[in-house]
Formats: sequence, structure tokens, C-alpha cells
Amino acid sequence: MKKIFITVIACISIKSGFSQQLDQMIKGHLNGSYESYSQYYMQDDKIGASLPTDRDKVGSNNFLKLDYTYGKFSAGIQYESYLPSILGYYNPDQNRINQSKIANKYFKYSEEKFSVQIGDFYEQFGSGLIFRAYENRQIGINNALEGVNIYIEPTNFTKIKALYGRTRKLFDYSNSVTRGVDAEIDVTKMLSNKEHNTRISIGGSYVGRFQEYIGTIDNYPSTVDAFATRLDLNTNNFSLNAEYVSKDKDPHYFNNNSFEKGKALLINTAFTKNNFGITLTARAIYNMDFRAERATDFATQLPVNYVPALTKQHDYLTSNIYVYNAQLNLGETGFQTDVFYNFKPNTKLGGKYGTKVSANFSYYGSLNDNKDIMSVGTNKYYSDANIEVKKKFSKKFETTLALQNIYYNAAIIAGGHEDVLANVVALTSLYKYAPKKSIKVKLEHLWTKEDQGNWVSAITEFSLSSPFAFYLSDLYNYGVSGNHYYNIGGSITKNATRFSLAFGKQRAGLFCVGGVCRFVPAAYGFTATLTTSFGN
Amino acid sequence: MVKTLIKKYYCKNTLFRCKYIFMLKKTLYASIALLLTTNVVFAQESFAPVKLKSVSGKTVNFADVAATSKDTIVVISFWATWCIPCIAELDNISDVYKEKQAIKPFKFIGVSIDDSRTSQRVKPFIAGKGWQFDVLLDINSELKRALNVTDVPHVIIIKNNKIVYRHTGYIAGEEDNLFEKIKSL
Repeated sequence: MKKIFITVIACISIKSGFSQQLDQMIKGHLNGSYESYSQYYMQDDKIGASLPTDRDKVGSNNFLKLDYTYGKFSAGIQYESYLPSILGYYNPDQNRINQSKIANKYFKYSEEKFSVQIGDFYEQFGSGLIFRAYENRQIGINNALEGVNIYIEPTNFTKIKALYGRTRKLFDYSNSVTRGVDAEIDVTKMLSNKEHNTRISIGGSYVGRFQEYIGTIDNYPSTVDAFATRLDLNTNNFSLNAEYVSKDKDPHYFNNNSFEKGKALLINTAFTKNNFGITLTARAIYNMDFRAERATDFATQLPVNYVPALTKQHDYLTSNIYVYNAQLNLGETGFQTDVFYNFKPNTKLGGKYGTKVSANFSYYGSLNDNKDIMSVGTNKYYSDANIEVKKKFSKKFETTLALQNIYYNAAIIAGGHEDVLANVVALTSLYKYAPKKSIKVKLEHLWTKEDQGNWVSAITEFSLSSPFAFYLSDLYNYGVSGNHYYNIGGSITKNATRFSLAFGKQRAGLFCVGGVCRFVPAAYGFTATLTTSFGN
Repeated sequence: MVKTLIKKYYCKNTLFRCKYIFMLKKTLYASIALLLTTNVVFAQESFAPVKLKSVSGKTVNFADVAATSKDTIVVISFWATWCIPCIAELDNISDVYKEKQAIKPFKFIGVSIDDSRTSQRVKPFIAGKGWQFDVLLDINSELKRALNVTDVPHVIIIKNNKIVYRHTGYIAGEEDNLFEKIKSL
């Protein structure tokens, strides 16, 4: 713990002394950020929180990033320090990361219509279904490529991206190379030079991964090629995006060495009018888990593409007990729709301050025939129907009521036994009792006859006056286990620096951010977080 | 002397953690040296060109927005459709947007960091909200990374092509601080 503390102090002092002087001295732009997430683990047999197997009671993930831009040149580094890593992060728990190094470094030259980056880079083709290199520190994904990334606009309606590199594997790199090309043509611009309200563009991508195979199985592929085509149409109040991906046979750990081809079809539509908006998303996938190495066996390691669960990301403790995880290998088909409506102030349903309503429904199930992603099967995996109404009663008081109905096929999603049918009610009230001072109370209840039975939760947040905020929460499973998952914490924020400290219990389960999940073990203890950003 | 002190108190247990802090120092010295030398050699300034799409599909270069605004204040507010405090902040800013513009005009851009899981919700979402300001889509967090934003909500104020203010997090009522800041700049 002490070491972490010193690191943190060192960083703050460097930062404060540094940035002010640099402001006057430096002509370019220097930006940086520091993020530290540390936990102190204690034992609690009741919730299954055990001490780390390596007996180090601390877990701490630290990230320092610096970027500098001057004219057409930019360069940057990211330093990562795991002292050792928090439980459930990147590696299985018995094998925590215990290393600190500069993980990413790059140099980039960019002009208006041309750029080249060498070193570690992030990139995305289309919606990411075929290729996405990105970072998600909470989940523990950083699949930046180390190599070359080139961007060219040869005409005013064409954009081309080309890349070649090795995927980052923590402080090392995959023993494979990934190469890709993506082209996008703005059809509207190609046909006319005028600005139009309707924009149509088409795109195509190729991504190939080569990992040498020296085994004895015939026809075992070293190279896996994938192709994608897409269409985007945008008008002032309507949009349509469609993307189709096909991937060659790609046997690996997660798909049980399947030799079948991968396929994916994604369609998004949206329509808006005045204070109304609606979206419809449909997606079918089969065998779309694409990894930089075949033998990877930990979910967050070495992804090449990005296939998130297309469901609503909820902000309630009870709603996050049964979350969906996209079935990349098994295959799935389904859809999601969202409706947003704002009843304007001074109308019958809007009241004096307006009422905001949003509803969401998603459904995912099996394919009937794995070779045909247009075929709809009968095995239901997940559904979520929810509605949220936010009503402001006065300048000082507002409430949000949310209702949710969940169907969760535990056997498919989490390897459990039974299907879970659950209902959630959540009521949030916010009362501003003085300028910049407020109390927020969130009450939730989840009903289910299956699995762990009923849950109830209460959260109270106090914003005493900036920069201080405190919270108290409890999630209580009175259905089966009788376990309390209480937490107490507070935070201090000053400009772009925020420090928070919490003490309590964490439920074991899937922790999901951005539709990607990792399993977090039950934990009991302290959590300290520090984030800061600086620069000009 | 500092080195001995660090060694004495910090490196007592393991050598590896000791290496960490020295490496950190080395890196920082190296970057400072690099910066000071480049500062002498070159003389122009601009942000890294990051191209984002607007909700209607138009491509916008962030560096151009910052450079062409000159001494008009540009407020960049990073948010996401799944971020409850972000939405509360933008709702409250939207409520007084016209009124505040009348006092001192400024550019306001909401940068959504929703990735392809939720980015298709952004356009209908803001239509449902009736927000008046421009919204750009940062689908693979390019601008977020370039400006070193760690968490949302995060507000950045740019004036004369420089970042002059940053703020992270949101507590009800804090938008007043932002407007005071805009007024004072």
C-alpha cells in the first residue's frame, strides 16, 4: 500500500510543478493522464471472498500516459505498473501480473489527407465487427497493434487505411501478425461537389491474421482471412448502417477448433423527429470470435475484432446481476429497439418541467442452422424489456422510475443450470436542498423464483458541496444466501483530478463495460482510485 | 541525495519496485528533454488532427475547430449515453443554453465516446432530449485518448488553440462553475 501511495504522490507533485511551467514554455501541446486503481483484500468466507493465492493482499493497476503534438508530429508513451494486478484482471488469479514497463509508444506524422503512425496504435474498421484495436482499462483489454498504420485520402471522396503489426499481449506481443486494409467511398461527394443533407457511403475491409502452424493436422490454417462490406446512409432524421462480415475457417480454443467459417450481419436504423427518436438494431453472428493467437484461453486476451452484447447497459445494481454476453462462437440472432420521447414542459404529460421517457427491448436466441445466419432458431438466450420515466417536479426535486423484465438462459450465458425470469423496479429521487448540495436516493428490488431468489438494494449519495461527495449502499440477497454487499465511500474532485476511497463487499459475477465482460471474483476490502488529466 | 532517500525508504523490500520509480523518473526526464529541444526547433502549433463524424455523418477535424475558433471559447464535453452524471450535466446545460449564449457567445460540442455497441443510440437519444448543441461521435476514443481524458463526464475549455481549463465528474449545480469560468476567460 505504501508503495502505491508514494507513486501517487510522486505523480501529483510532478504533475503540478510540471504543467504550469510547461504552459508558458512549450509551444506545442503536451497532454498527460495518470490513473491508479488499488484494492486491499480481506477475507470473507460468507460471500466467498478469499485472499489472493500469492498472499499479497494488495492489487494495484497504474497507468501513466503522455502525448506531445507539435505541428505535424506527435509522439507518446504509456507506462503501466501492476503492483501486482487486481484480482480477475487479464490473467487467471493464481497468475497475477507483477510487472511495470512502458507498454505503448508511438510516433505519428499527420497531414490533412495523409498520416503515418509507427509504434503502438489503435484503429477500427467499420463498426469493429471485423477489426478493432482499442483499450479498456476496466475490463483489461489493450489489443493495440505494434507496427505501421497509414491513412490516405487520395481523392476528396475516398479514405483508405492500411495497417500491419503484432497484437499487444500485455508487455509482450502475439506470435502472429495482423494486416488489414479498409476503404470508404463517400458516394454523395463522388457524384456532386455540393453539400447534401443525404450522405451515402460504402466501405470494404480485409483483415488477415497469420500465425504459423507446425502441427500435423491437414489443412490447418496458419492464415485466417476476413472480409467485410458496409453501407451507411444518413439524412437529417434517418440513418441506416449495414455491415456483413465473413471469416475463413479459424480453429482455436474458444470455438473448440471448429473448421467452420464465421459470419456476421449487422443492421442499424434510426429515425428522429422533433423530440422523438427510435432505433432498431438487428444482428446475427456465428463463429465470430477472432483472436490473434489460437491458444489464448482467457476471455479478455488478444481479440482482433469487437462483438459486444447489443443490449442496454443499465446503471442499477440489481439490473447488473443478470447481464447478457454475446455468443460469438455458438452463434446468436436477435434485435434491440430503443424509443426516446420528451414530453415538453407546460404540456399535459410534461408538467411544468417536462417528462422524459425511454423504453428499450432486446431479444437474442439461437440460429436454426449455423450455416445460415438468416435462420432463426427456437432456443431463447436472453431478453430484456425496460422502461424509464424521468420527471422533474420542481427545480429542486426530480425522480426516475425504471421497470425491467429479464429472461436469462443461465446454461448458455454463464454455464448455470436453470433459466431465470426476473423483474426489477428501481426508483431514484434527487433533492437539491441548496445550490450545489444534493441528496440522491436509489431504491431497487429484483424478484425471481430462480437462482439466488430476491434482491433488494438501497444507495444514498450526498453531494455536500463540491468538491466532496459520499455514498452508502447495500445490495442484499434475502432470497437464498442472506448476504449483504454493503459499500461506503467518498470522493474529492478538483478540476481534472479525482480521488475516491471505498470500503465494502463486491459480488462475484460478470463485470461488463461496453458490452465486454470479465469475471470478477467476490471481494471484501478497500478500493482507492486516483485519476488526473493535465496538459495544454 | 533524493536517490539515496528513495532507495532507503522505497526499495527496502523489492528491487523491482525500486526500478519502477527510477524508470518513471528517467522517462519523464527524457520527455522533458525532448520537449525542450523540439520547442526551440519548431515554431507553429496545432492540436493533433483527429477526424470525427457528426451525428448526421459529416466529417469534422477537431484540430480545425480548435484553430479556427481563435479567442472564441470552445467547450468540449465528453459524455456517453450510458453515463448518468454526463446526461444530468448536459440536460442542465441545455436548459440554460440560449440564455448563457446571450451573455457571452461560446462554442459547445458534446463528444460522445459511445462505441459501436451504443453509438447508434446517440442520434435518437439527443433528438429525444432536444439538445441544441453539436454532438460528435468518437467511436474508437481517438479524441478522448489524444486529449488524455480518463473518465466521463470531462469538460475541456479551449481558447486561442490552448486548453485553459479541465474538469472531471459532475455534481448537480456544477454547471454554474463552468459558466462562471467561461465568463472569466
